[in-house]
Amino acid sequence: MTALSDPVSSRTHPAPRERVAADETVEIAMTVNGTEATVAVPPRAHLADVLREQLGLTGTHLGCEHGVCGMCTIMVDGQAARACLLFAVQCEGADIVTVEGLGTPDDQHPLQRAFSAHHGLQCGFCTPGMLMSSYDLLRSTPDVTAEELPEQMSGVLCRCTGYRGILAAVDDVAQTYPDGVPGPKACGHRTLVGRGSGGGSGAGAPAGEIPAAALPEQVELPSGPPSAVVEVTSTLRSPVDRVWTVLNDFDLLARCLPGARLTEVLDGDRYRGRATVALGPVKLSFDGLAQVVERDPAAHRLRFHAQGADAGGSATRADVVLAAESGPDGGTVLTAHADVHLTGRVAQFGRALAGDVSRRMFEQFAASVDEAAETGSVTAPGRGAQLRLLLGTARDTVGALARRGLGRLRARLRRP
Amino acid sequence: MKAAPFAYVRPATLDDVLAELAGGDGKVLAGGQSLVPVLAMRLGRPGTLVDITAVPALASATVEKDGYRVGAAVRQRAVEHDPAARAVPLIGMAMPFVGHRELRSRGTVCGSLAHADPAAELPAVACCLDARVELAGPAGRRTVPATEFVTGAMSTAAGPEDLVVSVTFPAAAAGEGYGFAEIARRHGDFALAGVVTRVRVGPGGAVTDARLTGFGVSDRPVTRDVTGLFDAGETEHDLRPATAALAEEVVDTGGDTHGSTGYRRRLFGVLAARELSRGLRRARDRRETA
Ligand SMILES: Cc1cc2nc3c(=O)[nH]c(=O)nc-3n(C[C@@H](O)[C@H](O)[C@H](O)COP(=O)(O)OP(=O)(O)OC[C@H]3O[C@@H](n4cnc5c(N)ncnc54)[C@H](O)[C@@H]3O)c2cc1C
Ligand code: FES
Ligand code: FES
Repeated sequence: MTALSDPVSSRTHPAPRERVAADETVEIAMTVNGTEATVAVPPRAHLADVLREQLGLTGTHLGCEHGVCGMCTIMVDGQAARACLLFAVQCEGADIVTVEGLGTPDDQHPLQRAFSAHHGLQCGFCTPGMLMSSYDLLRSTPDVTAEELPEQMSGVLCRCTGYRGILAAVDDVAQTYPDGVPGPKACGHRTLVGRGSGGGSGAGAPAGEIPAAALPEQVELPSGPPSAVVEVTSTLRSPVDRVWTVLNDFDLLARCLPGARLTEVLDGDRYRGRATVALGPVKLSFDGLAQVVERDPAAHRLRFHAQGADAGGSATRADVVLAAESGPDGGTVLTAHADVHLTGRVAQFGRALAGDVSRRMFEQFAASVDEAAETGSVTAPGRGAQLRLLLGTARDTVGALARRGLGRLRARLRRP
Repeated sequence: MKAAPFAYVRPATLDDVLAELAGGDGKVLAGGQSLVPVLAMRLGRPGTLVDITAVPALASATVEKDGYRVGAAVRQRAVEHDPAARAVPLIGMAMPFVGHRELRSRGTVCGSLAHADPAAELPAVACCLDARVELAGPAGRRTVPATEFVTGAMSTAAGPEDLVVSVTFPAAAAGEGYGFAEIARRHGDFALAGVVTRVRVGPGGAVTDARLTGFGVSDRPVTRDVTGLFDAGETEHDLRPATAALAEEVVDTGGDTHGSTGYRRRLFGVLAARELSRGLRRARDRRETA
């Protein structure tokens, strides 16, 4: 009897696991794009859903959810696999690379550059699956020929038939790297925004309240690029020292934020609260923690980190800097800069929409700060009241604020 | 499409796997490439999935004196890249047609046998080679020839409390040649019709034994001793009338939107003649090089 060569016996086989009941949630630790991630999942949650909903990695697309279309193709322990045919509970200790790990907009993987150069992207829906499948192919078979490509790439379906461009791109990269295509370029340590329940797959946190235990003691910001960068500059009527009084009083400050309510003041300049956002059919109620990391009275500058989670599977974290400067006519120029990280349902709005909503909130916030600076308290848009943001009504909002004489708003939205 | 809730367990030993299966409410989860779609479409709702991939005894493939033995947790792609698997040339010929790369990285060889899809390649290879399937269950261990293991469409000799422990494919001998071909709508799809052949020649080069298995043409792989077919000659052309007649008897699938019974019979007849003649040529080459 001959023991077998490496490829067969050294494939990672997982450690045993005790029975997990159907309605139970277990913690699974895996490496995703070079970062340790722990997710809490019921047995029936498949990996694609967990990547998308709990880790915010929405690059992994879902088409058929039964293995046929290849949209959800990712790398698992160095080989391409269907994320919809793998339950997350099977992935303890697995090393996973998704399309987000392949490259970044600023530092694309050669395959990503080739797909764009050869017009391999039409609607782009199949692109993540095509990229991961071709990456797997060129890693395992660098000497693949152009003639073999149609067969080798047949595991992923392109519904707008961009095949010619896709095959040309893969062939180009194969020829450029005869000894094997470079490894993933965006794998490394970063904080993945995880969540403590099974997402839309049944079990998990009961609707409504987030258990307090789900909120950490410290806000940890992800180090990856933010989902949206929001920068709003507002000219307020109140003088800068009055505005600073508001910024320096976190309770008052929180009341200026539409839909927000402070529920507990903790030591170390930390605050617990709740913020509610309603947007068409979407209603999100975030329980969160904010932590002031910098107060500079001389520069009138306040910086805080905030983190919130919603029972429905959305999470948001932000690094916020508020700075007040003397403005024209004895007023104040208030600048709010926020790097916003979104995951879960809220991230599925798309970046533009999410950034838009955040910007709208800051505009209303600035108006309330001005009011608070003048009167010492806040009325509309309402402390504790639920924020109703109607999309496409930016001008109405600005117009209403202008009518109320609260200042001129200038807003700029940058997308990363 | 989401699976209905199920319990999950990943035992460490074969005995624990069998204990979990006892009672019949559990279902073996190997690569999941056939089971998960079934769960997703809610075509099946087992109470417990028993993941067998953590059992070390099931995780290796080895060359033994009676052939190449593949444990139940060994993945198809691992076998595809295993130099030791060259002892069984038909595995290398058939494997690229088993789904796609992305599926073979998780799917197991034994899982394919246990699933017993009538159009699957590996059960046909196992039948043509007379592979032996090792089972463990409440009644102990037993070994069943592949041709008796598959009893119908997605039906096997393994009961709900049984585990397929391994499959052993006989290694190729000198003077043995093989043929494999299938026609599918697209590479990686299940075959509309396919054939696997094994031809043996004696020291003088004459055919002593020929076996053919058709798949995708009936409710299970169909295996026949076709030594007598060579009486009419050795070329593809010579073999055609006899394989066409064989198709009438062997191909009994009702046909579907992708191909009628008649179309499949024609495919089968053509593929059978071509792969028998190819098998013979290779058998003679191997006799010379052996
Ligand atoms: C899009 C797509 C295309 C495919 N195309 C092909 C194809 O062209 N050809 C082909 O052959 N296959 C094809 N398959 C199926 C193939 O990928 C699987 O390899 C195979 O059928 C199942 O192997 P598995 O290890 O994934 O088994 P699983 O999915 O884990 O199990 C399948 C069934 O077998 C049982 N089972 C598994 N292992 C054992 C065991 N050791 N003992 C007892 N019971 C067991 C399970 O309980 C289950 O009922 C395709 C699948 C998909 C999704
Ligand atoms: S969504 Fe996974 S293969 Fe279609
Ligand atoms: S580019 Fe649209 S699906 Fe492929």
